[in-house]
Amino acid sequence: MKKALITGITGQDGAYLAELLLEKGYEVHGIKRRASLLNTDRIDHLYQDPHVEHRRMFLHYGDLTDSTNLIRVIQQVQPDEIYNLGAMSHVAVSFEVPEYTANADALGALRILEAIRLLGLERKTRFYQASSSELYGLVQQVPQSETTPFYPRSPYAVAKLYAYWITVNYREAYGMYACNGILFNHESPIRGETFVTRKITRALARIKLGLQECLYLGNLDALRDWGHARDYVEMQWLMLQQETPEDYVIATGEQHSVREFVVAAAAELGMQIDWSGSGIDETGIDRHGQVIVRVDPRYFRPTEVDTLLGDCSKARRNLGWTPRTGFAELVAEMVREDLKSAERDELVKRHGFPAYDYHE
Amino acid sequence: MVKRALITGITGQDGSYLAEHLLERGYTVFGMTRRESWFRHHNASHLAGRIEVLFGDMTEGVDIAAAVQDARPDEIYNLASQSRPGESWARAPETLLINGLAAIRLFEAVRHACPAARVYHASSSEMFGLAEQVPQNERTPFNPQNPYAAAKVYAHQMARIYRESYGLFIATGILFNHESERRPLHFVTQKIACGAACAALGIVESPDLNERGRPLVEHGKLALGNLSVARDWGHARDFVRAMWLILQQPRAEDFVVGTGVVHTLADLCRVAYAHVGCDWHAHVVSDPALVRPLETGRTVADPRRAREQLGWVPAIDFETMVRGMVDAQVARLRSAPATHPD
Repeated sequence: MKKALITGITGQDGAYLAELLLEKGYEVHGIKRRASLLNTDRIDHLYQDPHVEHRRMFLHYGDLTDSTNLIRVIQQVQPDEIYNLGAMSHVAVSFEVPEYTANADALGALRILEAIRLLGLERKTRFYQASSSELYGLVQQVPQSETTPFYPRSPYAVAKLYAYWITVNYREAYGMYACNGILFNHESPIRGETFVTRKITRALARIKLGLQECLYLGNLDALRDWGHARDYVEMQWLMLQQETPEDYVIATGEQHSVREFVVAAAAELGMQIDWSGSGIDETGIDRHGQVIVRVDPRYFRPTEVDTLLGDCSKARRNLGWTPRTGFAELVAEMVREDLKSAERDELVKRHGFPAYDYHE
Repeated sequence: MVKRALITGITGQDGSYLAEHLLERGYTVFGMTRRESWFRHHNASHLAGRIEVLFGDMTEGVDIAAAVQDARPDEIYNLASQSRPGESWARAPETLLINGLAAIRLFEAVRHACPAARVYHASSSEMFGLAEQVPQNERTPFNPQNPYAAAKVYAHQMARIYRESYGLFIATGILFNHESERRPLHFVTQKIACGAACAALGIVESPDLNERGRPLVEHGKLALGNLSVARDWGHARDFVRAMWLILQQPRAEDFVVGTGVVHTLADLCRVAYAHVGCDWHAHVVSDPALVRPLETGRTVADPRRAREQLGWVPAIDFETMVRGMVDAQVARLRSAPATHPD
């Protein structure tokens, strides 16, 4: 039985990947941080009671900023594959916590590579590094492929760029099976609530049911290449099953604006939005004349990434990659799930129990 | 009004030359250094009493913030670094902490405590690595080939982001190799100068040890790595002048600083040993154990921007620099006890 170790298993990708690997018969180990709130919602359906026999999923406390811990966990597990998905993954927040971001995202990747070497696992353990389309930042070419020069625009992107290079360096210098997946934005119903797509689907579902009045967004014209996380984690696994380790861009090759995402999500809920005004005064108005979308400059980033569009022909050719979930389907699925939880909140509230309000 | 400058890495080759350059121009100079580095012999020892020393460690954010607060600088020169690309393979995490994270701790301190200060950050030609374009200028994409270079790319990109996001004056110098008689002995250029000096003085076992604890010159031979490595070498004294000029510009920008002339290690050996009347082939061997896991490609500067905007032209040529280094090693070996590489 193959063993995999996933950092960031409590995140969106970690949860989908754990599910995929369990289906494929792997023994799955995950590293989770100790936090003051329970943070395993996304994998609770996969987790098994520690008392059952023949368990195939295990969680270890740990942290990418703690090398002693990483070395011990890797030594215990002796994984065939390590997926480094753990990161401080929020671009805007990285401007507030640049040092922590570097420690977790850049040094974290290096700590794992060093642990693999130190434990003499270079020939056994394959390493996947979650790189990001944010590396392209102020894009130097359209669309972006594996050979496009990088131009990062946030502390998050720069930290991820270090992790990208150090992965390439360790592969070339030590012959390790290590590769980068340069994944463009990938979303799902379990995307973190502060990422723009999830923020939109959640807010609109709640507005629809009268639980919230308005959705505040940053740059409505930012263009992104959005795919479904479930499709993308399959590529992460495939990258580690090849004869030679290589870096791959994973994307849909299709681009939409934040505004289009809002319109599509609203349409899914039977809501129609008319835009009025421009710049920071632009508003989205529903058919009752209520302003339900506003621009709030606090969500602008100090330096913006205006457009990202991936060229995934290499992955198409070598990995047989075709994205299964299209944009409309992705939006519909996210809206459907957020509408369910909004309905639950609304029901609870109607019967006099407190439902939580969510503020960023 | 007297200008105040803060230099990190004051005890290094560049820090000491830069401090001299700024003192000559009437600056009040603050040097940040680790306590243990300051109290042994180093490149800036002769400046004691003429500069203000601030003790602190670049891996500790509080120390950096305190130094910035105490110095209240008009200009900051961030030269502190784990400065050995070859060694960075064995010291990768530490290299990122010092060369990468320390830089952003400094930028954050500037943003909060003295946003009007002008900052020079020391970037490196190692960032180009296996560059597809020769020579390299400010727009050449990076392709780092070792943990040192990857950490330098990290800090360089963060310098740009702090400049673009917060409007801070953070400029960088992408410096090609620059040497001098103040280079520590574990740098290859200084090893060669020392080797030539040993040949001149008939020393077959050097008192100085290499990083593996063996005599630098053993049985009359100096062991080096890959001799076909080609670099653009200039003199550090010229390069610190460029650093200062970079901060006197109206806008913060990146500048490639190099001579534009390329030489191989074999060329360097030839000039050094010929200076003392020896044939280098008889004294130098290539040891595969000293070859880096990945070699940096042919890096040579296209210093057009520095020449046109800064009016910067190097004054000391390659041969003069190498001969000066050999002379200094001869003088040292004649008079002084052995020093060990740190």
